[in-house]
Amino acid sequence: MTTLLEVHNLSCSFGALKAVADVSFSVREGELLGLIGPNGAGKSTLYNLIAGAIKPTSGDIIYKGRAVTGWKPYHAARSGLARTFQIPKPYGNLSVIDNVALSALLHDMTIAAARDSAEAVLADIGLANVAEAPVSILTAGQLKRLEVARALALRPSLVLFDEIMAGLTRTEVMEMTGLVATLPARGITVIWVEHVLYAIMKAAPRIIVLDRGEIIADGAPEQLARDPAVIKAYLGEDTSFA
Amino acid sequence: MERAIADRPPALVNRRSRWRMMPERGAVSLFELSLLAICVALVALPVPHFYKDVMIVTFIWAGVALAWNIAGGFVGLISFGHAAFFAVGAYTSTILGVRHGVTPWIGIWIGALLAAGLGAALALIGARLRGPFFILSTLAAAEVVRIGALNWSTLTGGAEGIWITPVPGIANMIFESQTTYAALMLSYLVVVYAITKLVEGSRYGLRMFAVRDDEDAASAAGVTPLLTRTGAMAISAFLTGIGGSLFAQYFQLLDPTHVVSPELSFQFAMLPALGGLGTAIGPVLGAFAIMPAAELLRSYLGAVFQGLHLVIFGGFLIVVMLISRVGLPGR
Repeated sequence: MTTLLEVHNLSCSFGALKAVADVSFSVREGELLGLIGPNGAGKSTLYNLIAGAIKPTSGDIIYKGRAVTGWKPYHAARSGLARTFQIPKPYGNLSVIDNVALSALLHDMTIAAARDSAEAVLADIGLANVAEAPVSILTAGQLKRLEVARALALRPSLVLFDEIMAGLTRTEVMEMTGLVATLPARGITVIWVEHVLYAIMKAAPRIIVLDRGEIIADGAPEQLARDPAVIKAYLGEDTSFA
Repeated sequence: MERAIADRPPALVNRRSRWRMMPERGAVSLFELSLLAICVALVALPVPHFYKDVMIVTFIWAGVALAWNIAGGFVGLISFGHAAFFAVGAYTSTILGVRHGVTPWIGIWIGALLAAGLGAALALIGARLRGPFFILSTLAAAEVVRIGALNWSTLTGGAEGIWITPVPGIANMIFESQTTYAALMLSYLVVVYAITKLVEGSRYGLRMFAVRDDEDAASAAGVTPLLTRTGAMAISAFLTGIGGSLFAQYFQLLDPTHVVSPELSFQFAMLPALGGLGTAIGPVLGAFAIMPAAELLRSYLGAVFQGLHLVIFGGFLIVVMLISRVGLPGR
């Protein structure tokens, strides 16, 4: 399997605050990589760096073999990199289907084709029944699912999910986990930031743990559950995964 | 994959938002057709000169309101300086016609292109400005054009302006019959309306709405916000410039007060805001509701009591604002 994304010594500081400190890792095609860490660990900043929303202070990002450090978000999208936003950013004045159709326009030549693609994605996600409604009526959980729909409608090679489970019921979490788990088989590599641990620990074969901008662990969920550094930093003292 | 939309249960409440949802492309409603029929009838009927005059001004203002809406309503670039584009169009076609013998039928396009260039420049220069700061930059641009027109006397005739000698003829775009002018202005309105509907239902239109609603999300979906905005502003300025040229051809006197005052810019923004931002019919309704009222009030009451017409007009505007649930969007 080829390497899809490489991050070398990536750092990003906001003044004196080192949000991301010397982070290096790589992701192979077809992987499902989890990314966890306490709040403020730098996960969203890392996403913003990879997706081109902000520029790193130092370090390199290599995507599909090309150096892309400092690229713009629309370059990333056109190269097959999709991301969701931790706080959903829907197009507030448009309908649900148009929110997704906009993403589909990257590949579809007409609005009608884009809407068809959007319908299909919404059906996958379970939002088909609200397709024509304005986004203003969506619940928090539905907005999160809309974020996923918009990302998938871009037909990406790599997708960065940012806490897509927040606000979902237990059943919805199970459904969404099931959907995410099928993505590598559909040719979509996944990096997945998540706080809902029971979902990600089950689905992701490999998980990176970030704390205070640095990677403190990188391995299988079972290993991490026993790693004292991870337990202390993220899960608190005296916690176990029984 | 089944057509999930067709199978779904009855629609949830589809609350009309201030900005309209994407329409079916090419769909024209019965209401729009009826409105067009009424306008055509009004143009054809033998109506007194004054009312035809009001009609002509209303048609031009409606066209410019539609043009403004492409920048303000569709892509979210609220401008209080659109009179700059109006004036560039008007002065260009007039100067080319009066001083260099270029027929307005060509001069109008040159003026529109120059206006489009100015619009693109504004969008590029103001690329990092948001909300009130962008609005201020448009105000500044209009002021620059106005002061330029006032002071560059050799080009624009300064405060006295330029007269177009009314030699009737198709080549000059000067007509004896007011009805011909009215038909011309209505054609302009219909064309701008058609362009608005086309843009509204196009890929470009959807991208504009996305950039307006959330630029970062649109960027992450592959849209280039700067290009989208610049293109929208250029189109808006182009169509506004045409309106300016047509106005000059009818009014036949061109001076800064009449084509590039702040009041003009404000009107061009107010009409779409009152009628419905982001919809095609909105600016037309705004213009049709406000302009005749303004003109009629001014002519009937202007002499009765100084400023009375303005007071009543102000009250009328407030009522309209309360009734319509739209207004300029907060950023």
